Amino acid sequence: MKQRSNDWIVGAVIIATMVLIVAATLFLQEADLGEKRTGITARFRDVGNMQVGNAVVIRGVRAGRVKAISLAPQGWVVAEMDLDEGIVLPSDPVVLIQASTLFGEWQALITAREAAPTIRDVVTQLSDVTGAPPGALAGAVLPDIAQLTTYAGGIAGNVASVAERVRTAFNDSAALELRASIRNFSVLSNDLARAVRVQSRNLDSIAVHIRAGAADLAITTEALRRTAGRADTATSNGEITRIVAETERASSNLRQATERLNALSEALMTTEQSLKSVITKADGVLGKVDRGEGSLGLLVNDPSLYRNSDSLLIDLRVLIQDFKKDPKRYFALRVF
Amino acid sequence: MVETIGRVARGSLESFGAAGNLTAEAVRSLRDVSTWWPNFSQQARKLGVDSLPIGILIALFTGVVLALLASYSFTNAVPRYLVGTLVQKTVMMELAPVLTGLALAGRVGANIAAELGTMRVTEQVDALETLAYNPIAYLVTPRILAGIIMFPVVVGVAMFVGLGAGWAASLLLLDLSTPEFLKGARWFFDTFDVRYGLVKSASFGFAVTVLGCVNGLRARGGAQGVGAAATSAVVQSAVMILVLDAFWAMVWLLGRAK
Repeated sequence: MKQRSNDWIVGAVIIATMVLIVAATLFLQEADLGEKRTGITARFRDVGNMQVGNAVVIRGVRAGRVKAISLAPQGWVVAEMDLDEGIVLPSDPVVLIQASTLFGEWQALITAREAAPTIRDVVTQLSDVTGAPPGALAGAVLPDIAQLTTYAGGIAGNVASVAERVRTAFNDSAALELRASIRNFSVLSNDLARAVRVQSRNLDSIAVHIRAGAADLAITTEALRRTAGRADTATSNGEITRIVAETERASSNLRQATERLNALSEALMTTEQSLKSVITKADGVLGKVDRGEGSLGLLVNDPSLYRNSDSLLIDLRVLIQDFKKDPKRYFALRVF
Repeated sequence: MVETIGRVARGSLESFGAAGNLTAEAVRSLRDVSTWWPNFSQQARKLGVDSLPIGILIALFTGVVLALLASYSFTNAVPRYLVGTLVQKTVMMELAPVLTGLALAGRVGANIAAELGTMRVTEQVDALETLAYNPIAYLVTPRILAGIIMFPVVVGVAMFVGLGAGWAASLLLLDLSTPEFLKGARWFFDTFDVRYGLVKSASFGFAVTVLGCVNGLRARGGAQGVGAAATSAVVQSAVMILVLDAFWAMVWLLGRAK
């Protein structure tokens, strides 16, 4: 009896555990037992990271799952998807494969063709029908976050490279030079503006003068025209010949005067040379005097000598007066 | 000291050698169905069914602690539904088999070693041989078969209970919704996870029962020898469980990771 009881209990536990494990597995696998599903297929050139079991989504709502993925002729990949019962597809449907999370989970999104993103690559994939499997919906893979970060990484690298070059080119000294250049450019601009203003005024003045000159030229032309008219009349009276002769004489006189002036100029140059020589010598003498060289220099530059000389003169003057007053004091003439 | 090391090493090798011999004899005695079959259900009930409460208790607390630990470890950058993923993967592939195996190593291994050791020191095993019973077929084979079959049963229940405990803890303690937890649990779920845990636990059952039988049948010298045999059985079983855990990880997980 006990043996049978053991058998029954052990058998029941084993069976119950097996049922439990199978049920839990089916539950976690989201397996459908007897549920009716609609099957569709879609064609892709590449399915990215999509795997069997990934969700099929319509307008953000889970509507089924990917049943199978297989390679097809002419470079196609065919994905079979099971949709829940009663699901209605949008008009002209296409299937877009995309990452649903940042953690590598992908999904198949069924949407209308006109609602698909107008990314050039996606449009190209959707319109590709070369050797497409019959009856399969058009499909495309949207770029995932890894691709986007790859592109962004490349862009960031380029920006970093440019920034590094800028940093290398524009160091502190370059910045200082650039600042000085900007300051110089500012000064230059101000000068240029000032010059332009001045030149503008000058141009205005020139224009006025030109205008006046043109008027004078017109007057002169008119005078010339009149002179020409008079010349015509003068030519006929021999006045021109006389004028020419007088001009020749005047020219001869002028030439002689010029020659005299040249001679005078040469003499003046000689005098100037002599004067320069005298000045140089005088300058040398004065320099010696100034430096205290020679007697005169010593006398001029040595105050003690001056004072001694002055003292000697005073003493000499006193001596002479004393001599005049009493010569005998200095001469003792004895005959015997 | 050198002598001691040599003695320990020889003893360990002798244990493994004896386990190999015993396994070979047990496999040979499988043909003697009439001898081992009557004892099988009794051993299965004692080793498996009666061990369910300890397995369930361990899984219950393990699931709760794992959910809380996952929630504590994940920062804001990690979605909360990954709590379900962590609980599912860890309970099914590692904690349920290993913790349950270690608990059963103490309970079952010690039980088998003490029982067979007592029979050995009281010469009951010799009496079986005298009665023309094959002691291996009568004592060892049903225990090994019961261990191989019932350990996965206990571990399977522990997996279910651990996952359920993690789910309940997520709902009640972590403010996680059922869809969130299930999303995480289903996300990376693979039937391989279940197979891996069950196969691993079957190998644990085999190791624990074989080592229990070996140490029990080698018991000498009365009650003290029986106690030493039980201690050796538990220690060797625990070590062997960890060794097998690493072995299966290298054999299956390393290959799948590539």
